[in-house]
Amino acid sequence: MLKSGSIIIVCLHVFFQCYSQSDSSKIADLLLLQKIQNEMQKPTSSPQPRVAASANPNLSVIGDFRGLYRNFGHHNFDAVLHETEFSFQSVVDPYARADFFYSVKEDHATGEFSSEVEEGYLTTLSLPAHLQLRAGRFKQTLGRINPVHPHALSFVDMPDAYVNFFGEEGLKGDGASLSWLLPNHVFFQELTVEATNVAGESPSFERSKTNNFIYLAHFKNFWDLSANATLELGISGISGENRMKKITNIGAVVLTYKWKPVRYNTYKSVTFQNELYYSRAMLDSSTVNAIGFYSLLNVQIAKRTFVAGRFDYSNRPNSAQFLQQSGSLALGWLATEFQKIEIEGKYTTMNEALPENNNEKSFVQVYLRWIFVIGSHGAHVY
Amino acid sequence: MKINIYIALSILIGTISFSKAGTIHVVTTTQDTKSIAEIIGGNKVNVFAIATGYQNPHFVDPKPSYIIKLANADLFVTLGLDLESGWSPSLLTSSKNRKIQKGSDGYVDASVGVSLMQVPSSINRAEGDIHIFGNPHYWLDPLNGKVIARNICDGLAKISPENKTLFEANLKIFDDQIDLKIKTWSASMATFKGAKVIAYHNEWCYFENRFGLKIIDFMEPKPGIPPTPTQLVKIIKAVKENKIKVIITSPYFTASSSDVVAKQTGATTLILATSVGAFDSIKNYYDLFDYNIKLLTDALK
Repeated sequence: MLKSGSIIIVCLHVFFQCYSQSDSSKIADLLLLQKIQNEMQKPTSSPQPRVAASANPNLSVIGDFRGLYRNFGHHNFDAVLHETEFSFQSVVDPYARADFFYSVKEDHATGEFSSEVEEGYLTTLSLPAHLQLRAGRFKQTLGRINPVHPHALSFVDMPDAYVNFFGEEGLKGDGASLSWLLPNHVFFQELTVEATNVAGESPSFERSKTNNFIYLAHFKNFWDLSANATLELGISGISGENRMKKITNIGAVVLTYKWKPVRYNTYKSVTFQNELYYSRAMLDSSTVNAIGFYSLLNVQIAKRTFVAGRFDYSNRPNSAQFLQQSGSLALGWLATEFQKIEIEGKYTTMNEALPENNNEKSFVQVYLRWIFVIGSHGAHVY
Repeated sequence: MKINIYIALSILIGTISFSKAGTIHVVTTTQDTKSIAEIIGGNKVNVFAIATGYQNPHFVDPKPSYIIKLANADLFVTLGLDLESGWSPSLLTSSKNRKIQKGSDGYVDASVGVSLMQVPSSINRAEGDIHIFGNPHYWLDPLNGKVIARNICDGLAKISPENKTLFEANLKIFDDQIDLKIKTWSASMATFKGAKVIAYHNEWCYFENRFGLKIIDFMEPKPGIPPTPTQLVKIIKAVKENKIKVIITSPYFTASSSDVVAKQTGATTLILATSVGAFDSIKNYYDLFDYNIKLLTDALK
């Protein structure tokens, strides 16, 4: 009844409009309006079903294929599938999510394989007062490099200071981490405290035979300097048992400036990142104060192309006399979000001749890395 | 003494902030949902949008500063599907705000109920950056704006049931306004029904479907893959053969490749607005279509 009424009204409207205006284009317009009105009366089609529901976690496999050349030794070139990382990530229930990363690695120097649960942790989603608890095995919240998996970094190798202080694999352990988002409405501040053991080898710390864990506190501050520029200042303190069964304390500072134009953020960006470690290690009869830092500049020059430069300076946590310095240049090309190729050249000098470097005090290394991802790999931190 | 300690602590960590009591804090992923949430919520809401109007919504950097907004939000509105999958889940987890986590009352997926286009029957990344649930740029059909508005209205009513009547009334005003405006927009575009165009990225299918355009090819050889010389040659040929007048692109794509085609063929490159705020004159969801349709009709004449 109502529908017929509307049709009559529209027809009358059309008739009177036509009567008052003989212009044929006006008639066409009115007929068009009527057509639109009729279209809008039609019931909209019912939504299509979404992709079949699945309880499976997000799965991905990341391949890290590397070539390495060194200007010393008889076997100075090799290419290996350095790492294959399997990730499984999902929400557990309304209260928590879980992330697992399983890694299979081949050492390019020895050809030996190793595999391990690199990380496996639960993160709460429902604690009050802006608190979040993480429990399991995880990479500790130290600076900007340690929590990130190597395939997401803009360099093939890790900075010398990072390797000398925490090892090639960085600082990770089994334990708990509690983070608190401070109620600051002006800029971002987050305080994280962690207690873990040591999983894997670390030059500064060793897994304790007693109840001595590694304790870490990290205070992250983040400012938006403008719509396109940001600044991050992070301060960390770590304390744990070393190989001499005594205590090593490390302070770390990270300062990162990023420029990324909002409109063309997929085409251009600049990152200037600096990280400094200061270690105070109590050894048998002495205390060693050691320092290490790196400074890196990463410039995105086109949608798919990155250029990066890095300077490394490092003592060792057990030797303030040891000094290693290096300069590196890297070029990266991203085919898509799921595939990238990088080449890096590095020149290193050190004041001690080490057997792993063929007793050379200065040498050149060239790395080539090809990263490829299948499956849905989650986003990385900003 | 206690007050002094509080003030000192507040200054130290910058916590002094002023907000109107009873205001619902809404965070949306984009400016379009912000505009609609403001219309539905009226003076009961304060809305913050993460992405700007001239930014590619697929690639927003998850800055910690957004976490502050999310930590204090009562309602989170996402366009959903997998449009923001590269950045919004990590922000949500980091917000440590249980009110807005997926599955909570304060989580609104604006896509619920939308008839999706280009839903793939199989997933293969060899086809480029395809979306597993279908094309997610559905807000570019104004009738889908009504679905978004309904979802936001329901979300607001869940967390603030005492204001449900107001939200429903505002929803009615929004729906009426869209019904009214779509007649004008459709009438303007009617003359150009079936007009062939080239688009930079596959993000206009809902707009194309609503207003009768015919996108015959894309500058990107596959979604997410930048234009290649071979693709440009193919496009130049297609533009000439089909006498195409317009290449449509978005504010966040560089114009260099579109300009090459335009120069070779005489076609016009139009930077259409993909979101509210893409250009200064686009203040709300209605303006988005006013702007794009004016630009298109002028160029297609």
